[in-house]
Amino acid sequence: MNPKAANRLRYASLLAALWLLTACSQWRYDLGMPLPKSGIPEVEQHAGLSEALIALGPPQRISATRDGYVLAWEHWHIKENTLGLSLGLMGADLFSIDWGQMHAKGEFLLLTFNRQHQLTASARSEWDNHGGGQAVQPFLGLISVVDVGDLTGKMTQHRWGGSLLKPLPRALNNDSSPETGQNGVEQRGTPTAIGQRSLEMH
Amino acid sequence: MKRADFILITLLCTSLLPACVQYENKRGVDVAWQTTVTQQLVKGTSTRQDVLALLGPPSQLIALDDETVLYYLFEHSEGEGLILILYNRMRIDTRYDRAIFFFDENDVLTEYSTHIDESQSS
Repeated sequence: MNPKAANRLRYASLLAALWLLTACSQWRYDLGMPLPKSGIPEVEQHAGLSEALIALGPPQRISATRDGYVLAWEHWHIKENTLGLSLGLMGADLFSIDWGQMHAKGEFLLLTFNRQHQLTASARSEWDNHGGGQAVQPFLGLISVVDVGDLTGKMTQHRWGGSLLKPLPRALNNDSSPETGQNGVEQRGTPTAIGQRSLEMH
Repeated sequence: MKRADFILITLLCTSLLPACVQYENKRGVDVAWQTTVTQQLVKGTSTRQDVLALLGPPSQLIALDDETVLYYLFEHSEGEGLILILYNRMRIDTRYDRAIFFFDENDVLTEYSTHIDESQSS
């Protein structure tokens, strides 16, 4: 092989190798601000709604309940790492090898108040979860090994005005939906197959 | 240099070019609950009409019998990223500016609270 042809082959091989890689991707999401470690109103202090709002500011989630209100504050930090090889950029969606890892860390504070705006219960949770997966997909790339879409979506308040304009199974479930502000609150990533959203048939 | 070499080298260089990405996304009502505005409101005196006149329609309205709550939300995401061929990185920070107002059965303001994130104020 003459030197020019060998060089050309070398360039083409390098280019093909680069296109073969779908690359390493890192995504970081920070949703909201960390909750204060102290100064959170407690039931024993006979705290009221005023004290909670002064200490924590407006909640991120709120709903009326049968006997008062439930208010929630949250903070999420999500990391998503993926590494993959595929032939996709070469025009053939035939073969891919994927590896993915997800790390979700967060905290959630829930306070309930009665009709007299007195604190009746409080609960705080913190979590640090890991997940991920690997896949070899020889024919079609059908699945994504990591999906954090249900954790990073927009707040439900933005959809409040259109709650009755959803597709029919979801609109019919409006009286149970946690997005209305009248039926409780839900955390990000809550499964929809059971509970209040099960009739929405996602 | 032959044309085929030129195309190959151009494609190779293009593949290696780094890209800087900036991302911004805003959702919700305009932030009108600065302290200079809300200091006009007085608990026990101001009415729901006063709040609506100052801030406009809320993101959400919640009712508990005769009580009502107006909730205002502005969601602001900012991100920065580096897009290379072999390594891509993106970081997105989302902050929530919000205000909440409670009214009694006479539409009189009983409680309120506001928050504006200064680090991403628009």
